Amino acid sequence: MSSHREAPEISKDPVADGTDVYAFVSPNRPEYVTLIANFIPLQKPDGGPNFYEFGDDVLYEIHVNNRGDATRDVSFQFKFTTKVRNDKTFLYNTGQITTIGSPNWNRPQFYSLTRVDWKDDKKNKEVLLGKGLRVPPVNVGPRSTPDYAKLSAQAVQGVKQGIKVFCGQRADAFHVDLGSIFDLGALRPLNEAHLISMPNMNGVNSVQSYNVHTIALEIPIKQLTRDGSVPKNPLSKKAVIGVWATASRRKSRMFDKAKGKYIGHGPWEQVSRLANPLFNEVIVPMAEKDEWNARPPWNDKRYAKYVNKPELQGLLPVLYPGAFPNLAKYDKPRADLNAVLLTGIPKGVVPGFQNYTGAVEADMLRLNVAIPPTAKPNDLGLVAGDAAGWPNGRRVNDDVVTVALRAVAGLTLPLVDPSFKPDGAASAVADGTSNANPAVSDNFPFLGLPGGGYQTVPGTTTAK
Amino acid sequence: MSDTSRRKFLAAAGIGAAGTVGLTGASASAAPATRNTDSAREPVVAFVEHPYADRVHLMVGEREIVVHDKDLAARILNAAGGR
Repeated sequence: MSSHREAPEISKDPVADGTDVYAFVSPNRPEYVTLIANFIPLQKPDGGPNFYEFGDDVLYEIHVNNRGDATRDVSFQFKFTTKVRNDKTFLYNTGQITTIGSPNWNRPQFYSLTRVDWKDDKKNKEVLLGKGLRVPPVNVGPRSTPDYAKLSAQAVQGVKQGIKVFCGQRADAFHVDLGSIFDLGALRPLNEAHLISMPNMNGVNSVQSYNVHTIALEIPIKQLTRDGSVPKNPLSKKAVIGVWATASRRKSRMFDKAKGKYIGHGPWEQVSRLANPLFNEVIVPMAEKDEWNARPPWNDKRYAKYVNKPELQGLLPVLYPGAFPNLAKYDKPRADLNAVLLTGIPKGVVPGFQNYTGAVEADMLRLNVAIPPTAKPNDLGLVAGDAAGWPNGRRVNDDVVTVALRAVAGLTLPLVDPSFKPDGAASAVADGTSNANPAVSDNFPFLGLPGGGYQTVPGTTTAK
Repeated sequence: MSDTSRRKFLAAAGIGAAGTVGLTGASASAAPATRNTDSAREPVVAFVEHPYADRVHLMVGEREIVVHDKDLAARILNAAGGR
């Protein structure tokens, strides 16, 4: 979760595995939108000597649709190149890394950023926004990377079109109790009510000690809207953009024995896709997850049946007997979930708000850029009255697990079906985790600094 | 597929030119393949997905070229079969 190791095939290819996508109007620069895509899940910070890095053989992309048809209108493409400075050592660094260009860093990584504009899903224009851009090293520890904040700041770079970019390691901002949820759908605060009852307890944030690799852009809003405007009317169609991220690998790979590694041939083929948190993870059946990862969003109609009648909706009354009688009886299609995940929320459901992109059912993170940032954000987002949060785009701190669980439990159903009365348990559903991740930043790229290798201590797992 | 493009494929793939695989059948009497001026200058991977179809996929650079050539597909399949 929200897309960490979410499908069988991509779980074997972590370098290409997208974990979370965020899209929000920058809180300190409201004329800009921040787009973030995280990859390489569950990085243990002390995982040396070959620490985590982007794949030179992976094409990472963030896509934007601004015409409501869920095809690509703008794509930002990232390609990475890794160099080895000293081929006589096994070390990641041969001394302290005090600047991002330090010769002591033995394995620096660079990237190019290209903007592609599409017309009818065909390449129309391509602009190289920047090349030779620098990735910071990972946070090795106080001896190797003594001022990590400085290294990180040096990796925030300006490119053409007024765009700011950062690519590098960050702390995962997502919080979820993986250990409990995937142990037969257990929510620790509701343990006693579970079919296999155990004492209630607080949730355990499974990702709080782990890092990810982040691709982040801060882009002038006018660079993303269909007519180059900065919309101010939230009810205008052109105020809504759809966002998703992908990773692709070459169609063919041949093992080069002389080099001891695979060499890619042929076109890039999409192997990972992500927009709304949890879509592929808990909506799409296991047998279809790999195929979903390889498909474009405009063709997601085939998955609508899993949104309209989610498996989890059927499981909750079984796993928590007697807690969800109204949900158990509900047999109509879930129009609320369909709107949140596949079409956007139309006008008239939430006063003064919409992020409807049309009838094309597609998993995109829909952001209404005319909704200004909230001074005091509510992590429960739109359902708590904060229209600047998920499912209007997604901010770094949005508690998407709680919102999603409660939505599936029926809490959002009355918005579209006033005849439905949510069960009392619906508003209590939560995995019980709190945001115990490293503090996020007030400034781009917003995600917290990554945990250091030296600072990492073993966990507490047990077989009993 | 024209003779020119067929020769281009065989040359680029290293088949025949390397002399390690003897091709037999209808094309055995074809003129030896020579490289065209616009033949590929980088490695090429050939892929026959369905042994009963005439489709050959060529991976070159960041492109995929699909050629429909029953004879070419047969020659590759024969070579793969060791004949």
